[in-house]
Order: sequence, then C-alpha cells, then structure tokens
Amino acid sequence: MDLASIVYLGVTFGMFVIFVLIVIRTYSKKRKDEGEIAKYQMLDDD
Amino acid sequence: MENQTYNYAIVRSFVTWSIIWGLVAVLVGVIVSFQMVDPDLNFPPYLTFGRLRPIHTNAGIYGWGIGMIFATFLYMVQRLCKVPLWSDKLAKFQLWFFNATIIASAVTLLLGYTTSKEYHEMEWPIDVMVVILWVVFAINIIMTILKRKDEQMYISLWYMMAAIIAVAILYIVNAAAVPVSLFKSYSAYAGTNDANVEWWFGHNAVAMVLTAPFLAMFYYFLPKSTGVPIYSHRMSIIAFWSLIFMYLWTGAHHLLWTPVPDWIQTLAMGFSIMLIAPSWGSVFNGYLSMNGQWHQMRENYLVKFLILGITFYGLQTLQGPMQAIRTFSAFIHYTDWVPAHIHLGTMGWVSMICFASIYYLVPRIYGRELYSIPLANLHFWLILVGQLTWSISLWIAGVLQAGMWNAMNSDGSLTYTFMETMVEMYPYWWARAFGGMIYLAGLIVFIYNLYKTAKKGGAIAAQATVVEGRA
Amino acid sequence: MWERKPVLLCVLATVAIMVGTIITMVLPFAWVNTEADRIEGVTPYTALQQEGRDVYIRDGCNNCHTQTVRPLVPEVLRYGDYSKSGEFVYDRPFLWGSKRTGPDLARLGGKYPDAWHYKHMESPRSMVPKTNMPDYGWLSDNQLDPQMIQRKMDVLGFPYTTEEIKALEGKNEMDAMVAYLQKLGSDIPWREATETTIVGDLKNPFIDAGQTTISGWASLYVENCAACHGPQMEGDIGPELIGDDYDDEILFEIIYTGIADGGMPSFSNLGTDKVWKLTNYIRHYKTDGSQ
Ligand code: HEM
Ligand code: HEM
Repeated sequence: MDLASIVYLGVTFGMFVIFVLIVIRTYSKKRKDEGEIAKYQMLDDD
Repeated sequence: MENQTYNYAIVRSFVTWSIIWGLVAVLVGVIVSFQMVDPDLNFPPYLTFGRLRPIHTNAGIYGWGIGMIFATFLYMVQRLCKVPLWSDKLAKFQLWFFNATIIASAVTLLLGYTTSKEYHEMEWPIDVMVVILWVVFAINIIMTILKRKDEQMYISLWYMMAAIIAVAILYIVNAAAVPVSLFKSYSAYAGTNDANVEWWFGHNAVAMVLTAPFLAMFYYFLPKSTGVPIYSHRMSIIAFWSLIFMYLWTGAHHLLWTPVPDWIQTLAMGFSIMLIAPSWGSVFNGYLSMNGQWHQMRENYLVKFLILGITFYGLQTLQGPMQAIRTFSAFIHYTDWVPAHIHLGTMGWVSMICFASIYYLVPRIYGRELYSIPLANLHFWLILVGQLTWSISLWIAGVLQAGMWNAMNSDGSLTYTFMETMVEMYPYWWARAFGGMIYLAGLIVFIYNLYKTAKKGGAIAAQATVVEGRA
Repeated sequence: MWERKPVLLCVLATVAIMVGTIITMVLPFAWVNTEADRIEGVTPYTALQQEGRDVYIRDGCNNCHTQTVRPLVPEVLRYGDYSKSGEFVYDRPFLWGSKRTGPDLARLGGKYPDAWHYKHMESPRSMVPKTNMPDYGWLSDNQLDPQMIQRKMDVLGFPYTTEEIKALEGKNEMDAMVAYLQKLGSDIPWREATETTIVGDLKNPFIDAGQTTISGWASLYVENCAACHGPQMEGDIGPELIGDDYDDEILFEIIYTGIADGGMPSFSNLGTDKVWKLTNYIRHYKTDGSQ
C-alpha cells in the first residue's frame, strides 16, 4: 500500500468513525428526553 | 396574547411578493415552452428563448423560492424561538431590497447582461446586491435565534442556519470575476476549473436553496398542520448532519464524462448514491409522523399538499442519484429527461411545500379564514395533473431522444441525424406546454382564492381560532 | 451541546460543508489547467472571436447548445473527437452547457464554410426546415465597438495587435459570431487525425435500381444536401450538381469523406448504405427536375 491509499482509507475510516460517534451520542438512552424535547416544545402555545 | 409583538406584516408582504414572482416565473415558463415548439414566437433581441429562459429559472428559484424562504424563515424563527424578530427595520429593508434585486435581475437579463453560468447568470453588480441582501437576512435570523426562549433548538432552525451559511459560501466563491465594465465581467476561473466550481455551486444551490430550507418548512408546517409531533427528532438530526456533509461532494455528477478529473466524478457518483439515505430519512420521518393520522389526508387539505410534496421529494432523491451513475448519465444527460427531473422538484416538491406554507399562514397573516377550501382542492388537483403531464411527457421524450442519439447501424454508422431525433420531440414539447397551462390555471385559482380571502374572507371560524390560540 | 448553542452549531455546520468543498472543489486546482493539461496548438481567442463568444453568451446560445463531446462512441461519431481539458484553458467562463435542444458545437469549427453560417444564422429554417432555432439575422445590424473589445482583451490578457483592433471597425456582431463558431474545437488537428480513407474497390450496390426506387431517396437529399447545393441541385453555397460526370465511385468518396479545404463536410456517419443512395440519386437527377 502506498501513502495515497493509506491517506484515502484513513480519511474514509475517520469520517465513518465521526458518523458513528454522532449516532451513538444522539441515540444514547441518557439523552433520549433531551433529544426529543424540541419536537414537543414547537407545538406549544406561546 | 403575546401575538401582538410578532411581526406578521413582514411575512404577509414577503408572501405577496413571492407569489407575484412565482406567477412571473410560471408565465415565462409557459412562454418559453411555446417558443420551443414554434421559433416564430421569438421576438429579438429581448424576447428570445436564450434570454427568457434564465429569467424563468431565476424568477422561479430566486423570486418564488427565496421569496418564500424569506417569508417562512421570518415567521418560523419568531415562533420557534418564541420571541419577536431581532429587527423589524432590517426586515423591512430586506423586503424592498429583495424586490429591487429581483427587478434589477430581470431587467439586466432581458438586456443580455449575463455571465451564462447557470443559476448565477446575473452580472457582478447584482451579485453585490445579493450578498448585501443575504447578510441582512442572516443577521436578523441568527440574532433572533440567539435571544430565543426555548433552549433546545428544533430541527427546522438547524436547517435554516446551515442553509444560510452554505448559500453565502457557495454564492460568493462562484461569483468571483474580473469586471470589464458595469455590465460585463469574466470569470475568475477558466475552462475545466470554472466548470467544476460552477457545478459545485449549482448542485449545492439545489441542496441549500431548494432542499434544506424546504425541509425546515416541512418539519415545521407538517406537525403544526396535523397537531402531532414529528416521528423522531433524533432521526432528523442524524439526517441533518449526513445531508449537509454529503451534498458538497456531489457537484461533478453534472459533469460526468467531461474533462473534469475522473476521481472527482467518481466521488460525486458515490456520494450521490449515499445521499439517498439522509434524503429518505426525512421522507420516512414525514410518513411515520402520519401514523394514525392518515385520515387527515382526506380531511385536511394542508396535509395533502405536504405529504404530496414530501413524496415528490422522495421520488426526486431516488431519481437524482440514478442520474448520477455514469452509465445512466451517458444515456440521459443533455436530453429532455433532465428538465423533467428538475420540474418534479421545483413544481412538485418546492412549490407544493410553498403552497402548504401559505395556506397555513393565511389565517395568521390575514386574520381571516381561507375563502374557499373547495378552491384549494381544485388548486391541488390542477397543479398535480399539470406537473405530472409536464414530467411524464418529457421522461418519455428523454428516453426516446437518448435512444435515437445512440442508435447505430450494423456497419457502425449512426442511424439518425440530429434533426431526425429533434423532430420527434415536438409532440412531447406540446404536451409539456399543455401541462404548463394546466399548472398555470391551478396557480391562478390559488391566487384568486387568496385575493378573495384578503378582501372579504369570513371571520375566523371556531376551529381556526383554536389553532390560532394554541399556536 | 450544539443543540443548545447556535454559534457552535453554525461553526460545526461550516466544517461539515467545507470537507467536501475542499476535496472536490479546491484541491482540483492543483491538477487542472496546469502544464499537464497543456495542448500544443491551443491558442487564445482573437479580438473578433472573443467578441463573438461574448455575443454567444449575451444571447444565451448555451441554453440550447452544449460544447463538450463525451468519450462515448455514438457521440464521437456524431460530433467528432472527444473534448480535452487543455482545450478550454482560455474559456472564461466555460460554456459546456447542460441541455442539447440543438446539437453540440464543441467541434463545429471548420465543419462548414463561413457562407453556411451566415445563411444559417440569418434564417436557420431556410437550411434546416424543421429546426426550432430562432433567426439571428439582426446581429448584422449591430456594429462592433473596437475600444470596448480592446478593453476586454486587456482584462483577459490575450495578445492582440493594433491592426487587429482597427480591422474591427465596420464589422458587425454576425461577423464576430461566425469567426467564433469557426474557431470552436479546431485548435487540435482532430479532423485530419480521424479522416476516413476508403480502402479496396468500391462497387455501387444499387446499380440496378429503377427510377422509382431512386426517386424514393429524395428525402435523403433534401435533409442532408439541399441546404448547400439547392433544392434543385442548382447550387448555392456549394456548387451546382447537375451535369457532373463523376463516376459513381468518385462521387461516393466525395460525399463519404467530404472535402476539407472546400468546406464540404464528411457524411460518413450516415453509413455507406445511405451515401450510396445519395450517390445514385444525384447521378440520376435530371436538369428539368423530372426523374
Ligand atoms: C439526492 C438528491 C439528488 C441528486 C443526487 C440529484 C442528482 C442530479 C443530477 C445527477 C442531475 C444532472 C442531470 C444531468 O444533467 O444529466 C441533476 C439535475 C438537477 N436537479 Fe437533481 N438531484 C437530487 C435532488 C434534487 C432536488 C431535491 C431538486 C430540487 C428541485 C433537484 C433539482 C435539480 C436541478 C434544478 C437540476 C438541473 C441542473 C441543470 O441545470 O442542469 N435535484 N440532479
Ligand atoms: C407551468 C410551469 C412551468 C413551465 C411551463 C416551465 C417551463 C420550462 C421550460 C420550457 C424550460 C426549458 C427546458 C429546456 O431548455 O429544455 C424550463 C427550465 C427550467 N425551469 Fe421551468 N417551467 C415551469 C415551472 C417552473 C418553476 C415553478 C420553477 C422553479 C421554482 C422552474 C424552474 C426551472 C429550472 C431550474 C429550469 C432549468 C432547467 C435546466 O437547467 O435544464 N420551472 N422550464
């Protein structure tokens, strides 16, 4: 493998990891209520 | 009620003006569709197809599309943040400067002052106006968000902010040019580079003007119309990050098989296909929000427009990635298939969402109930039939044309000359013009309905009062 | 975190947007239009050609015509050699277009004589009856502005001479347009490179065809030849064809390969069958118009 392929695979993998982290963070049980609260608030009276 | 402090007047003005520009866009669309079947309808130098077509596209995207983006963003930001606009004066300035920009664009394009870059035809002085307009708009929205009441930001606000930033970057980079005079400039980039920059801009105009803001509207007006929240806010967040990340890689799918470096084309192809996921994330979110509410499709005309709109979006985001595949592009690129794709998005997705938003806003900005729901239903069917006639006839035309362009005899020669393929298009171009007339009729019904509402619509009925009181 | 902090959200969104932007839009500047793309023979536009290009832009020809040939068999056959990056280094802006309502023009230069273009721009339907291209005869009424053109050349940094600018005096936009069209795609010698040569003996396959059969081929003549040689073969842009006493084989060869210097395009992409039919049709055509 030459440098270019390593960089290519590295960047691809890196981006994938970031994506997975966002998914994990968004869907963690701890944040369930926090993540969904906005959709109820937007229906509130004001 | 705190309502008094919200600025609805500005929303009303933007709605009115964008409808006017939308009508202009569709009228010019009908005119150019007739020019394509009869060249005698060209009246040089100003009223020729070559000059009118960019007026059609710009009036559609910037007059109607951006006009409605201004109207709805200024409304949504107040309601979602539960605070009045940061500056009413700035909003007022934005309204008049917006109209001045659109008028200046139409006049200069008619006079032939154009850069020729698609969706960025206006010459540099108008680019300067556009930048001022956008900065004013951005400041007002972002400052209002900063002083919001609810801490957690609803997904519509996310899409709004991302769109505002991205459009600014895209527009300024693609505008770079060296002026020769007030009305003529040369692009700062040459040849293949210019093409690559232009379609990086062009496709992301689709993303950041014709997609993200309309998703913001969809995510706001659907729950507001049905009264039930969206299916999953967290799913919309995942779709958000994926969408804004992936779109920017895909510009070169407009340049497949051209001299643009191959690896850029391949990346564009790959990312276009991946884009199905975040696009359909929103589509599913919309459909799943309707769980147990499907009866509203019959009872609530707003929901009909919104669900049809997101369905058009779903089809559009399946067809688009297909067109981004090299082999498929080799076949349909440059044919009439592509305008069919475009109008599925603009007349279907974008316009449907605009119509729904306006119907939703009517009681709020006019303080009256809509004049006639049967007319709204008639409007719905006319634009649906008009748009399907438009797109279906040109899909057939595109496939036919592509087939003829590629047909070869057994001795390796071409079966058809160019003219032999072009004359086959006429029946379909007639059908398209006819579909356009049906759509135009629908638009006129819509405008009549709004006019009647503004003039003398009934006082708000009981149900609307409830909604108004709650919303 | 970012769902509560709009400024942070804006920053992160910008980062997300910039990744793809940098990789697919900014980085390519390192490879495109560099020495590696350079093609010997590709020259900047002359003052007249550049002005023609600006008229092309002003009147939105790019809305119906593309200017890039893709490396696909039917396309190369129809239009000519596929387009190369180095051919566009002087194009500001690029004019590749996105819709072929009319044919691609990337390889138009040198295909027809100037006279064809003047006549075609003046009234496209007089040459191609069913076209939907509008008339552009009014371009001849607009005189060029040499001073302005000189300024444009300065901004573009293209070389020019004072005589060249002086020569613009008295020329009109139609002249500029034709000059531009004749330059398109002709900087590389692709025509010479792809010239068809006929090997082996030719034999007229329709030698025994009867008068009625041959008359049935009239539409081939009308669609492909009449614009230049006249509906009665009386000649117009191209010479009169009646009374030519070329052999079948020679006539076939002329139609098939064209006459590069004479401005006659090659019709090889019609295929040998149709070219033979044309040959026979022309050979049997009588002066009085009867067959
Ligand atoms: C996943 C989403 C999408 C993808 C991957 C996609 C892909 C494409 C491709 C490949 C083309 C070029 C076709 C060609 O010239 O051969 C195209 C054209 C176009 N698309 Fe889409 N599309 C998508 C969604 C949309 C949406 C939602 C709209 C909204 C209206 C839209 C509007 C347009 C427009 C205006 C053009 C024409 C550009 C031109 O002038 O050539 N697209 N799209
Ligand atoms: C009755 C409605 C409409 C009609 C009859 C119509 C007609 C047309 C025609 C004839 C073209 C030129 C196609 C070609 O060159 O082959 C066109 C292009 C276009 N129209 Fe429309 N149009 C309509 C509505 C709209 C609306 C509402 C929008 C935007 C919101 C829009 C956006 C566009 C765009 C972006 C293009 C450029 C397509 C391309 O680059 O290939 N149109 N339209």
